[in-house]
Amino acid sequence: MNTVRTLLAPRFWPISREGILKSRTGSRFKRLFLGLIGLVFWLGVFGISWRVLVYFKGIEEIGDILGFKLLSMLLIVSFALLLFSGILASLSKLYLSRDLPLVHAMPVPAYKIFFSRWIDSTIDSSWMVSLFTVPVFLAYGIVYQAGPFYYVTFLQCLFALIVIASAISTMGVVIGVMLIPASRMKSVFVLLGVMSFVGIYLAIRLLRPEQLVDPEIFDTVMVYVASLESPSSPILPSTWAYDAIRAALTGAALESCFHSAIAWSFAATCLFAALILADRVYFKGYSKAQTAPQRLLRKAAVNESLFAFLPGRLKAYTIKEIKTFLRDQTQWSQLFLLAALVIIYIYNFSVLPLDKSPIRTIYLQNLFAFLNMGLALFVLTAVSARFAYPAVSQEKNAFWVVKVSPIGLTTFLWIKFWVYYPPLLILTEILIVATNLLLQVTPFMMGLSTLTVFLLVPGIVSMGIGLGAAFPDFKAENPAQTVTSFGGLIFMILCTALIALVVVVEAGPVYRLFLASLHDRPLSAGEWAWIVVSFAAVFVISLAAIFLPMRYGVRQLEQLTS
Amino acid sequence: MIEIKALTKIYGNFTAVDRINLSIRPGEIFGFIGPNGAGKTTTIKMIGGILAPTSGSVVIAGIDMAAKPEAAKSKIGFIPDRPYLYEKLTGMEFLRFTADLYDVRTPEFNSRAVQNLELFSLRDWADDLIESYSHGMKQRLIMAAALLHEPEVIIVDEPMVGLDPRAIRLVKDLFRQLAAEGTTIFMSTHTLKVAEETCDRIGIISRGQMIASGTTDDLRREANVSDADLETVFLNLTGAEEN
Repeated sequence: MNTVRTLLAPRFWPISREGILKSRTGSRFKRLFLGLIGLVFWLGVFGISWRVLVYFKGIEEIGDILGFKLLSMLLIVSFALLLFSGILASLSKLYLSRDLPLVHAMPVPAYKIFFSRWIDSTIDSSWMVSLFTVPVFLAYGIVYQAGPFYYVTFLQCLFALIVIASAISTMGVVIGVMLIPASRMKSVFVLLGVMSFVGIYLAIRLLRPEQLVDPEIFDTVMVYVASLESPSSPILPSTWAYDAIRAALTGAALESCFHSAIAWSFAATCLFAALILADRVYFKGYSKAQTAPQRLLRKAAVNESLFAFLPGRLKAYTIKEIKTFLRDQTQWSQLFLLAALVIIYIYNFSVLPLDKSPIRTIYLQNLFAFLNMGLALFVLTAVSARFAYPAVSQEKNAFWVVKVSPIGLTTFLWIKFWVYYPPLLILTEILIVATNLLLQVTPFMMGLSTLTVFLLVPGIVSMGIGLGAAFPDFKAENPAQTVTSFGGLIFMILCTALIALVVVVEAGPVYRLFLASLHDRPLSAGEWAWIVVSFAAVFVISLAAIFLPMRYGVRQLEQLTS
Repeated sequence: MIEIKALTKIYGNFTAVDRINLSIRPGEIFGFIGPNGAGKTTTIKMIGGILAPTSGSVVIAGIDMAAKPEAAKSKIGFIPDRPYLYEKLTGMEFLRFTADLYDVRTPEFNSRAVQNLELFSLRDWADDLIESYSHGMKQRLIMAAALLHEPEVIIVDEPMVGLDPRAIRLVKDLFRQLAAEGTTIFMSTHTLKVAEETCDRIGIISRGQMIASGTTDDLRREANVSDADLETVFLNLTGAEEN
């Protein structure tokens, strides 16, 4: 264990040396700010969870059943997320980290290197899921007035789930690396992306959330209640955790201990199996992974003549960006995940039983359309965070080429903007049109939402490029690392604020228009003025969102690199 | 001290290293030179135990690398060409990290760390973060770390890259001194002058195969050139190989 501790030291020594707050003023402020934002989100999750559970508790007969169904859903989704992030983290830590040649040159057994990396990747892959599920569990404890035993139970069950997910995903990676030919090693990412897509899709569909809002699927209330009570698969670790936590909530301590023991014995077995496997094959797999990567697509995936109409510099960067993106198979797993999220997003709209809603009106449909606009733009924000925000940082050590070339930083950033803007615009417009069609919105709402999206997409992309330039990380090993930073958080917050602002500004006039249409009355002059001013404000906000971040990004990048 | 038998590394259809045989005795400085892409770094990685060979064996101080990798690696001080260092550690922390992994006890570490830092002119930067070091300083730090456990074998890939003339002289003198004390040094380099001045024997690799090995006089005879410098010998031998 001393060796494992030493191998982990480079991760923890800088933290213990600097301390959380003891550092330069600028980074201290950033950490405080990040901590504050995290706390706000944490409290928000707790508040919403508590509110929902209190509401469920107030429903007679089936309130507790609904509460436990929600708990089950939470655990299944958390486990799926842990598995997915465990796959990506372990692949990176075990086979792609830049310090691996240094560590493998040391007189340390391979399984100890594996174990230290496994601990590292487990922490990386699970901290966010853990942090933001804890307030939900706390809310359960408070609403159900659980004793101390419950709090110990949920913590250790969560920990067991983390260990199981990480061990299983790591074993999958180790086996995958051995099975796939060395020259196709990075095809592992493609495989993992597809597996993640399938896994997340199955997790979401297993929940069948549409049943919660469509009681008429069931013949009787009792059948409906029974379906809510029906357990998840008994071989899933999330089921054992659910059984243990539920028993602890209801005071059945012995039963809870039994299910916890099952979970922990499986966790120990998985970890043991992973260590044995690692001792046998980890170093062989690592050696295999060191071959020069072969291209997955040997034929040219980009027909350069398609871009002949572009000006020279834009054409050069466009072709470069597309080629490097297509050849960077580490990006593909993100692409698969995003495709999964987009498809699930649209699919969930298709199964919503809107026609069975007791208060179905045009008003309700179009309210959903309005909210959907915000959601679609939030999906765009998440996509931009993965692709547009890291765009400048992905130049990495090759940024010197930009500095010595005869293009200014302003042109460089605008070129980046024009590379990412068209595909993201197409994606978001498809999303909004498809979901609006499923929601059966009025032509006015269709027009409004597509136009609003058209105005905001360039702003969000511009904020991604601009803020990514203001907070670059040329040493990041992959794009995901870039966005999980102070700058990435600022980007997400500002985009959310922009979307919320536009939705709020448009909400009033749109509501007035609906009421006027509903009551078949003309709008007053004052109302017209309000509508015009509001939409003009949206236009001005959109323009500001396009130009201000780019100017800021150029200024910051110039200061940083001069 | 280093015995390499039929060492081979194949990637798919490509043979990067093809049945290399070498025997290097204690206290010898062996230079390993070759054109770009010849297989030098792949060979060095296999000798250092970072890469598993497809076939063949590497024996370090009588210990088979495949059978007892930890024991074999504990005899080696490995200095890569593009060292990765933990940027958020200080120089001293990195030395401590290395010492812990090589089981260097604290009393020995305390004295050797200071000694090595002074030797490589890093004493004043020992408590600074590595991210503030220049490339040459990082190179010197990795050398300081590699010598902490007083290895019997030093494997070094491109030792002089990024070093100023003073540091180059220091490293050459250090290698000679260590060799005189019985340490075996296996050195890959592009700087033929350094190889000529420092090495007892030189091996030339081209397209994964050892095409010549011996003293500089041996190599001149092999290349059929007399009174020529190593550059001419190298170009003759590798040019003939390519033809």
